[in-house]
Amino acid sequence: MAIKRLFIANRGEIALRIVRAAQALNIETVVAVSDADRDTAAARQADRAVVLGPAAAAKSYLDPRLIVHAAKESGCDGLHPGYGFLSERAILPRLCAEHGIAFVGPEPDVIDTLGDKLRARAMARAAGVPLVPGSDCVASAADARREGDRIGYPVLLKASAGGGGRGMVIANNGDEAEAGFHRASAEAVAAFGDGTLFMERFVPEARHVEVQLMGDGKGQVLHFGERDCSVQRRYQKLIEEAPCAAMSDDLRAQLHQSAVALAASVNYRNAGTAEFLFDVQRQEFYFIEVNARIQVEHPVSEMISGFDLVQEQIRIAGGAGLSVAQQDVVLSGHAIECRINAEDASRDFLPSPGRVTRWEPPQGEGIRLDSHMSAGAMIPPFYDSMVGKLIVHAATRADAIARLSAAIDDFVVEGVPTTLDLHRAIIAHPDFVANRIHTRWLEQVFLPGFGKKAA
Amino acid sequence: MSGSLFPDALKQLLEEFSRSGIRELHVRKADFELYLSTDPAAGRSQPVAAPPAVTAAPSPTPEAAAPAAPPPASASAGSLDLPENAVVIRAPNLGTFYRAPKPGAANYVEIGSKVKTGDELSLIEVMKLFTALRAEEDGTIHAILVEDGAMVEGGQPLFVLVRD
Repeated sequence: MAIKRLFIANRGEIALRIVRAAQALNIETVVAVSDADRDTAAARQADRAVVLGPAAAAKSYLDPRLIVHAAKESGCDGLHPGYGFLSERAILPRLCAEHGIAFVGPEPDVIDTLGDKLRARAMARAAGVPLVPGSDCVASAADARREGDRIGYPVLLKASAGGGGRGMVIANNGDEAEAGFHRASAEAVAAFGDGTLFMERFVPEARHVEVQLMGDGKGQVLHFGERDCSVQRRYQKLIEEAPCAAMSDDLRAQLHQSAVALAASVNYRNAGTAEFLFDVQRQEFYFIEVNARIQVEHPVSEMISGFDLVQEQIRIAGGAGLSVAQQDVVLSGHAIECRINAEDASRDFLPSPGRVTRWEPPQGEGIRLDSHMSAGAMIPPFYDSMVGKLIVHAATRADAIARLSAAIDDFVVEGVPTTLDLHRAIIAHPDFVANRIHTRWLEQVFLPGFGKKAA
Repeated sequence: MSGSLFPDALKQLLEEFSRSGIRELHVRKADFELYLSTDPAAGRSQPVAAPPAVTAAPSPTPEAAAPAAPPPASASAGSLDLPENAVVIRAPNLGTFYRAPKPGAANYVEIGSKVKTGDELSLIEVMKLFTALRAEEDGTIHAILVEDGAMVEGGQPLFVLVRD
């Protein structure tokens, strides 16, 4: 049954994005806000805003009972969790089901399975999706050499009981594997009281690629191409692109097929993302995990496909089937998104909440801004520091970089420091322009130089 | 939450509590009292003057309620003609507002009721968990701003109390 009134259990730009998607479908909207978010763009845009409780997320956005109670009492028959907060907590769809509210996302059991790394890996293996090549337990130095030869160097020897890098040794050849076995095993015994080791292929320069998926819950799954999210700091994505320009068309087709097979094997419902490690040198990809939600960076996939993923999410949650077939999903051009955070990059990315005094975003062909900000808007200190996402679309990657650069130049923000200057510098860097980046490039190559210039 | 708490019910309650993510639960019935908290500092922060009969976090502390501005959608207490010494009592969080301990029972308070610090004024329910809202000072109920059974939002004015 199609949703008539949608509850939005989130804040910031994604709450506003969901409100607008629902309104485009003629669905009423109720936005949940904390005391600190009463006067926000999503609250004003929605038909109604309800105050859950105090600013602290634990007493507002992170309380599933409070949220479902609010949804029920405000007459909603659907609930969109957005990303972050409770979006991948199975208790939310379970409570929704108990109260006859359609959850905009996957089944709770699927969320639980995907949230468990070992079960998710088993699921991927069963669906024929490549995993990082590795071994079972390694019993001796000779074993380590044999496994290393089989897996391919460099390899990582890892403590089975391990964590935090202890008991971890990189080996570049058979001799190092044998020597590394003794060292890693001793370290593991010292650190964890258990010397059991296993081995995994080490990818020194990997890219992060992910496939946007949408399932109908009955086994049919569509993909909307892949995204390359290799510009990261402390595992946080800063810039995302679609498509992954470093990947061959053949491999891209295999990647999409793997992701679809994985999601179809659990009758995946609604939007999800399959994340992979991409070894550029070997031209191989390995499964990491599935994110069972709409992601921050979904707009780049929307830009190259011309398809509104959030609207489709809401339709599917209301019981509709997929509104397009795979052959109707035509991907064209190149899109880049940068996440604008209210942070001071010159002070180790210190979050800098406060009031925005000027907010004049760029406009023009191929420019999209997803943001809840405006002049006079307040960035409260209680939540994450993202104030918006600037997305551009152009015919080629080079055109998209030029368009993004010009858009950043035209963007005027005053009142709080933002990461716009950082983005301008990243996309102007020769490595980024030549697309020679990997997931540790920003921290290892770019930021040390950027820090010197900024100081 | 009616009936006495037998060991089985207690065990179930403990399991529910740890699974729920609730931080604090305080039950007091006749000669029975139970206080659960996930906060190591809870012993000190436990409300002494007015322990709620059944409390699920967020507990109605003055810090949470006092600075809250009236929500845009609700009847604003600011528009009322308030007598001197009047204080507005607000909902600590969103929930369903109940004026009586159970259906058919007498309301906790009516307009004109004299209340003492710690007296129950209403219940706020979130998913079958009932939080008692208690008077934080002595006085007389001057106005009741919300209908029984209505959803109230965090910070919404519920009562006007005139201090003694």
